[in-house]
Amino acid sequence: MDQQLQNGSEFELDLGWMEKQGEWGVHAEPSKNGLTLADIQVGGYADAPDESRNLSGKPRGAVSRPGSMPIGNYTVRTKSEIWLENASFLYEEALQRQWSSATDIPWDTIEPLPDDVEQAQCQMATFLTEVEFVAGDVPSRWASQMSPDFYEARNVLMAQVMDEARHMDVFRKRALANGGGLMRATGATAGFVGGIDLARDFTEMSSRLHLSGEGAVLTIFRMGELMAYNDAEKAIYRLCAQDEARHVAFGVMHMRYMAANAPERREEIDSYLDEAEAGMLTDAANPAGQLNQTSESLSIMLGGGRKYFDEGFRKLVSIRKRQLQEYQKRVISAGFGERFKNGRSRLHDMLANVAN
Amino acid sequence: MATAKDADRVRPALTLSKEEREVEVPEPRLNWMNQSREWGIRVKPGKKGLTLGSLNVGLYGEIPMNWPDRTRNPRGAIGVTGSPPVAIQIKDKVDLWAPCAADLYEEAIQRRWAPATDVDWTAIHPLPEDVERAICQVCTEICQYAIIDVEVITSWQHQMAYGYHEVKQFLATTSLDATRRHEAFRKRALVNGGGLGYEGPCQVSRLLLESRGGWTETVTGLTLVRGLFTQVMIRYLTRFAYNGVERKIYECVTQDLARLLTYGIEHIKYALGHAPDRQGSIFTTLAIGMRMFNRDLRDPVLREALAIIFGGGIPGARNEGMHVFYEMLDEYVQELLSACQYLRLPVTMEQLPRVLQKDQRHLPGD
Ligand SMILES: [Fe+2]
Ligand SMILES: [Fe+2]
Repeated sequence: MDQQLQNGSEFELDLGWMEKQGEWGVHAEPSKNGLTLADIQVGGYADAPDESRNLSGKPRGAVSRPGSMPIGNYTVRTKSEIWLENASFLYEEALQRQWSSATDIPWDTIEPLPDDVEQAQCQMATFLTEVEFVAGDVPSRWASQMSPDFYEARNVLMAQVMDEARHMDVFRKRALANGGGLMRATGATAGFVGGIDLARDFTEMSSRLHLSGEGAVLTIFRMGELMAYNDAEKAIYRLCAQDEARHVAFGVMHMRYMAANAPERREEIDSYLDEAEAGMLTDAANPAGQLNQTSESLSIMLGGGRKYFDEGFRKLVSIRKRQLQEYQKRVISAGFGERFKNGRSRLHDMLANVAN
Repeated sequence: MATAKDADRVRPALTLSKEEREVEVPEPRLNWMNQSREWGIRVKPGKKGLTLGSLNVGLYGEIPMNWPDRTRNPRGAIGVTGSPPVAIQIKDKVDLWAPCAADLYEEAIQRRWAPATDVDWTAIHPLPEDVERAICQVCTEICQYAIIDVEVITSWQHQMAYGYHEVKQFLATTSLDATRRHEAFRKRALVNGGGLGYEGPCQVSRLLLESRGGWTETVTGLTLVRGLFTQVMIRYLTRFAYNGVERKIYECVTQDLARLLTYGIEHIKYALGHAPDRQGSIFTTLAIGMRMFNRDLRDPVLREALAIIFGGGIPGARNEGMHVFYEMLDEYVQELLSACQYLRLPVTMEQLPRVLQKDQRHLPGD
């Protein structure tokens, strides 16, 4: 060390690195939304490679050191496995729309509710607290395995992890804010084969988490006005729906990219969709599904009390239909609409049997 | 008190089809009703709103030292049994807890920022090429630190037991912070006629990614080696910032890093307070971390780039700039030693690599 420092009264500089820098002369220009990720897609810095050979965590476009070690050990290194066209937009929107469950929810609008309604609210809040974190933990784990050359997609997942932390806490807050408490967990996200946790392929995971799982939850959050009893609950559902819409969009856009760029994987993806459809109403992770713990509490919330259970249940049936219809639209948008025409999808039968 | 009927009246209607109105309704089982471990909790918002920490009342505030349940049962709920477990490895409070996690989580949300819009990107002007190259090089290396931070934190979060959700939630904020750090410095590198630089050396990053045996050891490297050094470096960069863009980024990143450092130091303190036998492995991890840091410091790139920034160009780097660089290292060492003192880790100046020991260093002109 000392050797490098000594040179008369001045430090000697090597400066060889100045010759080894990346593409030079880049002027990204801010647009009307500030300087966004889309605005910095300039020159060679815009191109995510089809196959990433970056194993050391260097930022995309920086020059590799010949001696760097492959410490990243990334398992996701193929662009089509993770990419989507509008990641930059989804990420920037996520940052603009972050909210605080402590201060953006008008908690003081909550007033005591009849015991049956409060119990239903608390049961649903318990369930949501439980499932929200699968949607945080799983993308988090995948982000750690993804080449940073695909940082735009990785960034969206990191914003999702943050969103889900907030969802988990906003429902816990709801359960403890109004004279209730937490109730019974469901085990809906346990380690079952075919569960979100266990998928060993990113697209398989995304089809289950983003497209069917969060898609179903999004339909319910969008109907939040129907099961809210005060402005606090309305705000919770509205803000969560905004976040979920981005998560679902990630799944749809990723699948669309996959359909266009990896046609050899179409059949495999159709198999994931077969599974997703089969589970949509039976899966405990769908709060409007057939698990009585959640479907009954939702019915009480929708009806307006135990006394109005029948009315609530009929609304629930209508919501289930909507879930399936919205799912269908998303799959069509993702480029897999053929399955609804060629008889592969069971959706038609399911729509006829939503009340069961 | 609002009644069910009132509530029904104010809620919007959903128009059902004839078919839907005729759906046969099954008799509800309602076996989930009246099942709670503690009922009657009413937490009111305080002056910071309804915070995560304020929910820790009654049974919900009981945070046991061990959480063997490997499902996603929320703490305080009645758990399900018989479900196949998820891959949770950290089940002891001592392995992840910091009492400040819930407060840091809320603080992170209150202090959120967006590099796209919170930085005035027009407040930048062309710089001499040597300075721009140096800034872009430093941005590149900070981007790489941030990328590795994301990977380190996200590889642990899912392994943590749900009983300690405050820590998991706080970590979600730190990986978004690191994501934003990468974003902000990448944007700075690409906005002013420069570009990205040469990849940084990888020994400290390697330590962080390879310390898979324990989160506390990972936190030791993440906090006392990488985090504290980055924080001090950004403090010096703030002092020598060339424009408002840089100043704003440094200011926001400093706040973000301060939370990570607070969690890290408080977690190590908690771990040492509740499991004093961990001192040996934390001390050893830090010693290894110092060796890795020393190897990274042997590389001239970051040192020279910082000296150019501090010295206002290459000529200034050869004198003043490099002296400021070493002053910065000394400040890091001071902060490291006072953190170690706070943690009662018996680390002394003499145990550190020579480059970090002011008295052992011979600078030109000495
Ligand atoms: Fe969510
Ligand atoms: Fe979500």
